[in-house]
Amino acid sequence: MPSESLAVLAALIRKELLALRRDLHGLGALFVMPMIFIVLMSLALQHYYNPPAASLPYALDVRDAGDAARLVQGLWVRAHGEPRPLPADWREALRSGELKYLVVLEPGLSAALDAPALPTAAHLRLLTEPGIDGHLFNALRAELVGTAGDAKARLEYMSAGASPGASMAALVQAERFAGGAVRPTAVQQNVPAWLVFGMFFVVASMSSLFIQERSSGTLARLRSLGVPPALMLASKAIPYLGVNALQALLMLAVGVWVMPLLGGEALSLAGVDGAALAVVLLATGVAAVGLSLALACAVRTHAQAATVGPILNVLMGAVGGIMVPRFVMPPLMQRVAEWSPMNWGLEGLLVVLLRGGGLAEAAPHVLRLVVFGLAMLALAAWLFRRRGF
Amino acid sequence: MLVLDRLGFRYPAATRRSLAGVSLDAQRGRVLGLLGPNGAGKTTLISILAGLLPVQEGRVEVDGVPLAALRAEAPTRIAVAPQDYAFYPMLTVAENLACFAAAARLTGARRAARVDACLATAQLQAFADVRAERLSGGLKRRLNLAIALLAEPQLVLFDEPTVGVDPQSRAFVLDAIRALADGGMAVIYASHYMEEIEAIADRVAILDQGRLLREGPLAELLSEGGRVLRLRAPGLHADTLARFGRVARSGEEWSVQLDDAARPAEVLAALDAAGVRPQHIDFGRQNLEQLFMALTHRSLRDAE
Repeated sequence: MPSESLAVLAALIRKELLALRRDLHGLGALFVMPMIFIVLMSLALQHYYNPPAASLPYALDVRDAGDAARLVQGLWVRAHGEPRPLPADWREALRSGELKYLVVLEPGLSAALDAPALPTAAHLRLLTEPGIDGHLFNALRAELVGTAGDAKARLEYMSAGASPGASMAALVQAERFAGGAVRPTAVQQNVPAWLVFGMFFVVASMSSLFIQERSSGTLARLRSLGVPPALMLASKAIPYLGVNALQALLMLAVGVWVMPLLGGEALSLAGVDGAALAVVLLATGVAAVGLSLALACAVRTHAQAATVGPILNVLMGAVGGIMVPRFVMPPLMQRVAEWSPMNWGLEGLLVVLLRGGGLAEAAPHVLRLVVFGLAMLALAAWLFRRRGF
Repeated sequence: MLVLDRLGFRYPAATRRSLAGVSLDAQRGRVLGLLGPNGAGKTTLISILAGLLPVQEGRVEVDGVPLAALRAEAPTRIAVAPQDYAFYPMLTVAENLACFAAAARLTGARRAARVDACLATAQLQAFADVRAERLSGGLKRRLNLAIALLAEPQLVLFDEPTVGVDPQSRAFVLDAIRALADGGMAVIYASHYMEEIEAIADRVAILDQGRLLREGPLAELLSEGGRVLRLRAPGLHADTLARFGRVARSGEEWSVQLDDAARPAEVLAALDAAGVRPQHIDFGRQNLEQLFMALTHRSLRDAE
């Protein structure tokens, strides 16, 4: 590119950045909104990935005085800490959430555990507060079944003796496998999700100025001064790719340094392939900027820009696994999610940040993002010429 | 300098042509006033000259060079000051000028000198660091003007450059544009304000519905109503005037296209005899409004 054109490009980029710097609402949407989402959602979902089953306030109602019941009680307390004293009005304590759950050891529990047969009637009751998370409920029930089974096994094999720390739980080892040192946490999931969401929000700022330029005749004026359309589009794409890069740095910094200060877990970048991370982020930026430019060229009014862009983003986010993780979706919705460019960005980042993947593993997502971004840029160029200035 | 020869243009899907067979020329040191109601084709004509629309029919040349070739080679020789505030409201006056100066490929010391010169021409020095959105309507017009002059164009097209400004700013803008022509620039001034065209133009072209109705030196056009007597006379009957020529009436305003034998003094005598006391009489010269009306049988304001 001749130095003359570079000087024009630099001046137009400077204009774009000045306009953005003075657009407080735009800055808020680009930087503050995703940061708030990351903090809020990470704190809100902190327990989703590490259920606090072992630290919930609970009570025991022991109505069986037998040895087997005492054994169950001991095992439970050992794993879950000391229970709260059983309140007189335990029903109200559960309803209000003051107690998260209550375990009732019904009369006949010891007899059922001592009997040389599997139980056929319920002697252990788990009562939880009404709003408890479904996964946590299931985990507590499974633990209770496991504890009872463990107790029954201990009673059976008492004569054979038991080494300290032996339990049925020792038989099972469970972990989320990441292949490296990366820990799957709410932060690890939410930083990429809301970063991708924020990156696609460049559409609002970009289309707002674009429409203002077109309606005021400023684009026409630039054109009549001999500025080529490709240079005008490049002067918009380049600064917003920079904005995307800044967003990425800020969001990662929030995950690494700010979240621990707020009592959340820190984003871990240990074992992450930096080059792969940069490539996925760049590809996401290309897709976000391409789509934003195409939309900016397609809409005609500020009202359209203020609604179409954000609505499209929210839809892409909802469908693409930003707001609801894709793995909790039914199979049909998971397939629908694969059509959202936000999902490609998110999956690419999850591959790198969560699964310890490198360039090769992220390549399918990167390819989709880049092809989509370039197609959108071509559409933007076509619309720009067709619709005039 | 600028020659338009049978220029025609039709927008896609439009039923009629926005410009049809328009032939004009603009000279250095002269202001060509382009008069016509909204929809007459003024903005289309300016858009073609600005390179925003193609030359579909006819020929446009600047000093013998086809417009397309000129725009490819030296696009800044023709500048446009559009009707809208075509600049960045969130940028300061100086930032706007710097941005457009760079877009016009001005560099280094020349860029700085041109920005200073245009600030001075538009008397905007005191507002250099003020954001454009905070300027008054008049100052915004001046900024629009200053940006148009950055690249020292040889032809400047002004499209309704005084819309929405106070009388003082209007006078400033008109004086500044007149000074540009006096300095050797070719100026095309499109407006639907007849008074402005009368005040500033050397030649006038009247457009209506894409057609050029009349073009010529201002003084010549204004003197075309040589045998028309116009008067305002309450209580006057058409019969009193009919024997002197063809009579037309608009409210209390009357006009008589005098027959060859009729003399104005005879008309006045007849009015006196009929006991009619005229409030206003005009003979031998018409204004652009009257010329437009004579050409289209419509008022310029009605046509907007």
